[in-house]
Amino acid sequence: MNRDGVIVAILWVVMTAIGEWIALTARFMPMVGAEEAAVIDEAFTLLLVLAVPVATLVLAFFFYSILRFRAKDGEETQEGPPVRGNNALAILWVLGSLILAVYIVFNPGLKGIRELEASKGQEELVIQIEGVQWHWNVSYPDYDLSYERALQIALPVDTRVRFDITSQDVLHSVWVPAFRMKMDAVPGRVTTLYVTPTEVGDFSVDPNLRVQCAELCGTGHPLMRMDVRVLEPEEFQEWIQEAKEMVMGSGMEGMDMSGQEMSGEMSGDMSGEKSGESSSDSQ
Amino acid sequence: MKPVFKGILWAVLGAILGIALLVVIRLAFGLPAWKAGPAVAMGYLFGLSGWLLGVGVWDYWALGWLGRPNKQYTTTGWRRYFDFDTDHKVIGIQYGVLLVILFLIAGLLAMVVRYELMRPGRDLLNSAEYNNMMSLHGTTMVFVAVATIMGAFGNYLVPIMIGADDMAYPRLNALSFWFVPPVGFLLLGAALAGGYDTGWTGYTPLATVTRMGAMFYNLAFLTIGFSSILGSINIITTVITMRAPGLTWGRLPIFVWSILGTAALSMLFTQFVGLAMLMTVLDRVAGFSFFDPSRGGNPILYQHVFWFYSHPAVYVMILPAFGIALEIISHFARKPLFAYKWAVAGMLGVVVMSAIVWAHHMFTAGLEEKLAIPFMISTELISVPTGMVFLAALGTLWHGKLNLKTPMLFALAVIFNFLIGGITGVFLSDVPVDMHLQDTYFVVAHFHYTIVGGGIFGLFAGIYYWFPKMTGRMYNEKLGKLHFWWMFIGFNLTFLPMFWLGINGMNRRIADYMPQLGGLNMWVSMAAFFLGASFIVFVYNMVVSWVRGEQAAANPWGARTLEWLIPSPPPLHNFPTEPQVVDDPYGYGVPGSVHARLAAAPSPAPASD
Repeated sequence: MNRDGVIVAILWVVMTAIGEWIALTARFMPMVGAEEAAVIDEAFTLLLVLAVPVATLVLAFFFYSILRFRAKDGEETQEGPPVRGNNALAILWVLGSLILAVYIVFNPGLKGIRELEASKGQEELVIQIEGVQWHWNVSYPDYDLSYERALQIALPVDTRVRFDITSQDVLHSVWVPAFRMKMDAVPGRVTTLYVTPTEVGDFSVDPNLRVQCAELCGTGHPLMRMDVRVLEPEEFQEWIQEAKEMVMGSGMEGMDMSGQEMSGEMSGDMSGEKSGESSSDSQ
Repeated sequence: MKPVFKGILWAVLGAILGIALLVVIRLAFGLPAWKAGPAVAMGYLFGLSGWLLGVGVWDYWALGWLGRPNKQYTTTGWRRYFDFDTDHKVIGIQYGVLLVILFLIAGLLAMVVRYELMRPGRDLLNSAEYNNMMSLHGTTMVFVAVATIMGAFGNYLVPIMIGADDMAYPRLNALSFWFVPPVGFLLLGAALAGGYDTGWTGYTPLATVTRMGAMFYNLAFLTIGFSSILGSINIITTVITMRAPGLTWGRLPIFVWSILGTAALSMLFTQFVGLAMLMTVLDRVAGFSFFDPSRGGNPILYQHVFWFYSHPAVYVMILPAFGIALEIISHFARKPLFAYKWAVAGMLGVVVMSAIVWAHHMFTAGLEEKLAIPFMISTELISVPTGMVFLAALGTLWHGKLNLKTPMLFALAVIFNFLIGGITGVFLSDVPVDMHLQDTYFVVAHFHYTIVGGGIFGLFAGIYYWFPKMTGRMYNEKLGKLHFWWMFIGFNLTFLPMFWLGINGMNRRIADYMPQLGGLNMWVSMAAFFLGASFIVFVYNMVVSWVRGEQAAANPWGARTLEWLIPSPPPLHNFPTEPQVVDDPYGYGVPGSVHARLAAAPSPAPASD
């Protein structure tokens, strides 16, 4: 080990310490709104912790080499030592990266998948969401409630919810950033997503409590979203009752559940947009 | 210029013929004479054939198939760049100039996109116009990233670096280039036909029901696919069969290895994206229902076929950049390429493994859950061969004598940027984390770090490195360095914050976003304009240096591969006599070592040229 090697090793340790400190203390993710979000954030942080020493190893060698081994004036035509490689080092390098890659397959990979699947089949509430260019239709089959052009959905807190997702026309995707979960809405099939919300709140508290279409679906894509309200169970029951009354009556807009407002906002953009020649086939 | 005009004329005649044929067929079946979709498809198919025949296939090639003598090729001077020229050096420059122009246009589109995203709400564009701009930007840039290094440097330099006088199939080579101008025409046509809003991925069913521009996108992808396949067959044959005596596989420059790996990927996988495009076109114009679930089709099938090519395609974009970076790092560190065989093995490992990672683009697409696991595993394992490239780069820098000239700076930036791109790719490969990050700006940032930070920085490294060789003139080093620092800083200021945007709820491909992300988007847009402005320096430097730069010596860098043993620019048949390769090109630090010997040139060169 020569002097350069020692300096790089020290650099690596220092940079890693700083990097790990940032990885473990800085808050990168938005609000944690569901059990799934906690699982995913933990996976994210673990990957960050594992990535830091890899990145700093490369960067320490990289920047030290550039600064230290730069050819000074008049040295441009000098040549470095004829070192062709070092098989032991290469094997170590490959083994190191292999072990790391295999490790992250298990943790957080497979471990995280298993945790996300834990609530599978144990749902206490089913919500059906159907994507349509460019709005969502929502129904709560357990409560015999369904409404179109939805601008909000409600979920009871600490309840295992299964979303059954489908589409009428093109691909859409149901994403709730606060839950960290997303699943595409595919015409002709039903995809599922499990979440267990853990925090009461709504869009006005944190804009990450929203369903956002995350798969490009045409002109209205950016505004294809609805508020997510996570409520205490009794409030949720009240919400259901209110919603049913409004759906049956005519006062839907009172609860801001109907999407008239959205399509008004978009009307300038959407005029004549659905006129693909074979669109009639798929509608 | 005459062949280009003839090509255009024949293309118009072909298009008219195709449409007329369609009308006759439709009338014969009792259908209304006119339908736009089939007319565009048929018109383009016949028009493309007319273009290729007119631009030179007929005169210099097809006449021979009919037993008649082909026309003699007599074009000289600058007009060769507008003709069906079979010299690999002319074709390399044709590719390079055309694709760099497309790159600059697509970059302008990115400026428009960032202008719209500067503030939440609507500024310049409505949502439909935004989607058009974004889709055209993405598609054009993907084509540029796939084709430029391979087309420009693969063509110009691979034959020289292996000591050959041309490619194995010179006319096929010219043909593969002349497929590219119609791609530019189609992208323009897409814009004129109302644009398309499917992004560069063209997912169905949207792509079959949306505006007609989407079909132009399908046809453009098909066309550039032909070009890629023909070009890669040519490269593979050339490298296998035309290496100079003594140029064993173990002595092949790393850049040639990277192009060989890239060509293998292109040849094997491009047909799949062609298939995806063809099936989409048939769905639209002929009432097939491959992807229409209401008639037994499967929209997810499209994604499988598409990514079965398009993931290998990202290695088509990045492998040649790795090759350029390692080549330059060795010559500018003046030290042998470290762990050469491991780097080659790494590249070939990437080639093989890229075939089995495609579904990592589909973790949230409704993929069968158990299938996500093998793709997570393969994706995370592909970091191992990629890591070998890093080992080679770092090992070469260590104790070298680093000449930090412009090509070297760009080559080092490839390593730095791709480190960030690669590590963030590991986050996306993790199924749980991808549930959140898929289809967000985290992905946008990640692939710009790999494809721009790796691929495009590699392209610019190559442009500066080989500019003296290809033009015979030196670029301005000060302006080159200015361009580098400007682009490098602008690039990182633009794309680093996008990771944070994605994590915090900004999904991709949207004209509008949550107001609380406004501040950072303003920052990103400003940085993007700064990045965009750096290319003014580049264009100025290239144009001025090409016209009246200082004459370049044969070997301004003191590099060792074969192209530096011959004059700048190289003469018509490259070498006066076949070079004899005696060692690999990385013998730095060994007094008296050489890569190859050119037998004493019989001077003056034979007068036959």
